[in-house]
Amino acid sequence: MLNAAILNELRAAVDGADGVQATRGLSGLISTESQLKTYECDGLTNFRVMPGAVVLPRTAEQVQAIVKICAKHKIPFVARGSGTGLSGGALPAEGGVVISFSRMNHILEIDIPNQRVIVEPGVINQHVTDAVSAYGYFYAPDPSSQSVCTIGGNVAENAGGAHCLKYGFTTTHVLGMDVVLPTGELVTLGSALPDAPGYDLTGVFVGSEGTLGVATRIILRIVERPETVQVLLAAFDSIAQAGQTVSDVIAAGMLPAAMEIMDRLSAHASEQAAHPNYPVCEALLLIELDGLPAEVSAQMASVNEFCKKNGAWEIRLAQTAEERGLIWKGRKAAFAAMGRISPNYIVQDGVIPRTALPEVLEKIGHMASEVNLRVANVFHAGDGNLHPMVLYDQAIPGQEEIALDLSYRILYLCVDHGGSITGEHGIGKEKQQAMGYMFTEPDLETMQRVRHAFDPENIANPDKVFPRTKLCGEKTGPYTPHPLEKAGVAEFF
Amino acid sequence: MAIGIVDLEQLVRSIPGTDCARTEDGRVIALPSTTEQVAAVMRSINDLGMTVEIAGAGTKRGWANPVRTDIVLNTRRLAGVVEHSWQDLTATVGAGTPWAVMQNELAQHSQFVALDPLWPQQARVGGIVAVNDSGALRSSYGSLRDLIIGMTIVLADGTIAKTGGKVVKNVAGYDLHKLMTGAFGTLGIITEVTFRLHPLPAHTRMWSAASRDPDVLAFLMMKVRESRMNVRAMQLRASMQACALDIELASLPEVVAPQIERLNVLARGCGGSCTVQEDLATDLFGARSHIFGHDVVVKLSVMPTAITAMVRDVLQLGGTAVVQSSGIMTIGFRESTAINALPYLQEYVERARGLMTVLQARERPHPEWAMLPPRMGTADLMRRVKQQFDPKATLNPGRLMGGI
Repeated sequence: MLNAAILNELRAAVDGADGVQATRGLSGLISTESQLKTYECDGLTNFRVMPGAVVLPRTAEQVQAIVKICAKHKIPFVARGSGTGLSGGALPAEGGVVISFSRMNHILEIDIPNQRVIVEPGVINQHVTDAVSAYGYFYAPDPSSQSVCTIGGNVAENAGGAHCLKYGFTTTHVLGMDVVLPTGELVTLGSALPDAPGYDLTGVFVGSEGTLGVATRIILRIVERPETVQVLLAAFDSIAQAGQTVSDVIAAGMLPAAMEIMDRLSAHASEQAAHPNYPVCEALLLIELDGLPAEVSAQMASVNEFCKKNGAWEIRLAQTAEERGLIWKGRKAAFAAMGRISPNYIVQDGVIPRTALPEVLEKIGHMASEVNLRVANVFHAGDGNLHPMVLYDQAIPGQEEIALDLSYRILYLCVDHGGSITGEHGIGKEKQQAMGYMFTEPDLETMQRVRHAFDPENIANPDKVFPRTKLCGEKTGPYTPHPLEKAGVAEFF
Repeated sequence: MAIGIVDLEQLVRSIPGTDCARTEDGRVIALPSTTEQVAAVMRSINDLGMTVEIAGAGTKRGWANPVRTDIVLNTRRLAGVVEHSWQDLTATVGAGTPWAVMQNELAQHSQFVALDPLWPQQARVGGIVAVNDSGALRSSYGSLRDLIIGMTIVLADGTIAKTGGKVVKNVAGYDLHKLMTGAFGTLGIITEVTFRLHPLPAHTRMWSAASRDPDVLAFLMMKVRESRMNVRAMQLRASMQACALDIELASLPEVVAPQIERLNVLARGCGGSCTVQEDLATDLFGARSHIFGHDVVVKLSVMPTAITAMVRDVLQLGGTAVVQSSGIMTIGFRESTAINALPYLQEYVERARGLMTVLQARERPHPEWAMLPPRMGTADLMRRVKQQFDPKATLNPGRLMGGI
């Protein structure tokens, strides 16, 4: 698809007409097959597509030049941060261009009095917090991959994390941005100021999964770090007991920073992986409260009572920052830990109304039993975001198909209970077929109107998000280890 | 295609369940009571190539550019709380529901939509969302768009579309409800809105400091903003006669009490120029609506660090302001003062790299509404979005700034 002339255009866009960068061994163009293989997938590793070229721009102008070339030749392009996405959002278009933002990784401005930070899209999520923590601030969205994922990727996926229960998602914290549209225009969406006049294009761009353009400069809102943080861990004999405790906390008018539940399987796997010293139980509840010391202490006393009332037989309050860190390390390792208890697994990302939790989990249990598979459950209990992990063995003929089918039926179950097919991982390539279960044709057609306004030629991350006709023999869903992961040099989040 | 007034009324009345009325100038008002009826009206009107103004209570019709359309579609019969899942802290509400009626119903379970819009007794949900109104609660609970998790809309061609859902966490598809919030009804008609709810605070206390020196109060406001206190709402009221900083704290009584004392210490540290009052019963946060008693009302957005200087400038120009700590300022002028003041104010705002829009004035249209601020390429993109949603320019044509 990319002939020599187009590759030369792309090279000139990122290396300059004189090729000075290339002669220094710093070329911004990758086109050899061995190097392109690094970019053939993201965190959804069973989908692999070879791009025609990868470009590594250093400036917004270079991004604009690249996109103009793509627009001129109608070449599909996909933006990529660290490639940690779990739904195939950064999967290349076959023979198309991948725009990697690993060289646009600078924090451009820190404005503490106005609580804003301006970054390039390749900045690592954790680095924003690192840059402002000395001033008593932090960047709130904290996906499990926050130590490696980029702000640009977070914007594309509207990333969440355990603490979005209280602090909101990426969309709450992005005030504005510069964007290169698929037509090659460089535009500014939103503003560092509140209530920029006109349509809220920032709001619709965040979470659009790279289908509306490429952000090159992002204005973020930072939040004051709370004075006190307390983390409580409670062990229950049933998910229903833990779930009732969550409901009691909410009904009491509290808004914890995070509320997480792990079932026996997932807690067991995390214990093996991260050794957080979790009790062996049917349901493990983690609750984090933050704020002023007097308020947190009073609320934590109430949480303690709710846990006891609902049958918690072990309640632990982390006494030090190290203990808190260890509790969270276990939780954040939950996905990766599945590899220790099952040869293969599929991670799903459904959302249900919190009150439907006991019923939905019971149904998931029945559905899994019917097909003789195990499902481990980790969920952001405060906002009903489930991460069921369907465990199976690819070596057993036919089991992968059964596992896939089960994982999709779990998503449909979430929709049937008034929920969503994704709470934070995005639709990407993985769940585009399920969009038709959640939305009607007119709903999807209305979304396409936005896409046509931004991308009339459909070249920005095409064939993602929206349903399409499934190809014969096409597979979707399961997790297979990346070669780097198999070699032990990378970890899956 | 031309059509007579009588035909238009018959057309509306032919849609079962849809009522009809007349505006003072004789235009037909369609009054549908369901989303499907809205869609039926729109299909007919759009096919005829006619234009529609969307109205609710009409409390903010003066905002943005005036429109003159063939017909008015009023959403006031789309009223009522459709569903209140109080255990899930969500509620779905008809667009024609008066804000206060909704809040009263949600309060039965000690919950509310954490927003304090203007004129809550009259203003309806759809209109508040369409103009993206917000008040002093914004600094602690977020803006309106952060509180909306789903929406039902009807497009100009009668397409009914749902966006988002009924769960707080949901990243499936585009957030069209964000696009609709603040679109002034130019992209679609909002018929239902699903909100995330917050618990009503069990204990609050009011604190207010008055001073003749606005600089002192603006300084105090910034201090409190950085203080990590449990501030639920905060505003600065500034006029040439008097200025005051109003703060509402919300938490447990044992947490709030020392914070009130801390506020008193901060106020005393301002050199004795502040007079402090605690636990006032008056609704001080209704002050923003009083600004609209002026002839000309302007909305400014500036960085929080620019608030002090901007308040000083506004007072020197003869304005009266209610200022939120986020940097949003609502400013009123008398007509005679505004003529001289507005050009200067615009200059000051540009110097502060802020944004300025005229919300209310006797003379229309305003140059501020006629052009978009100088943001790169955005106006063209907004027009393309409008073109996709409403290619015949049926809905509130030209209402949005820039004539969109």
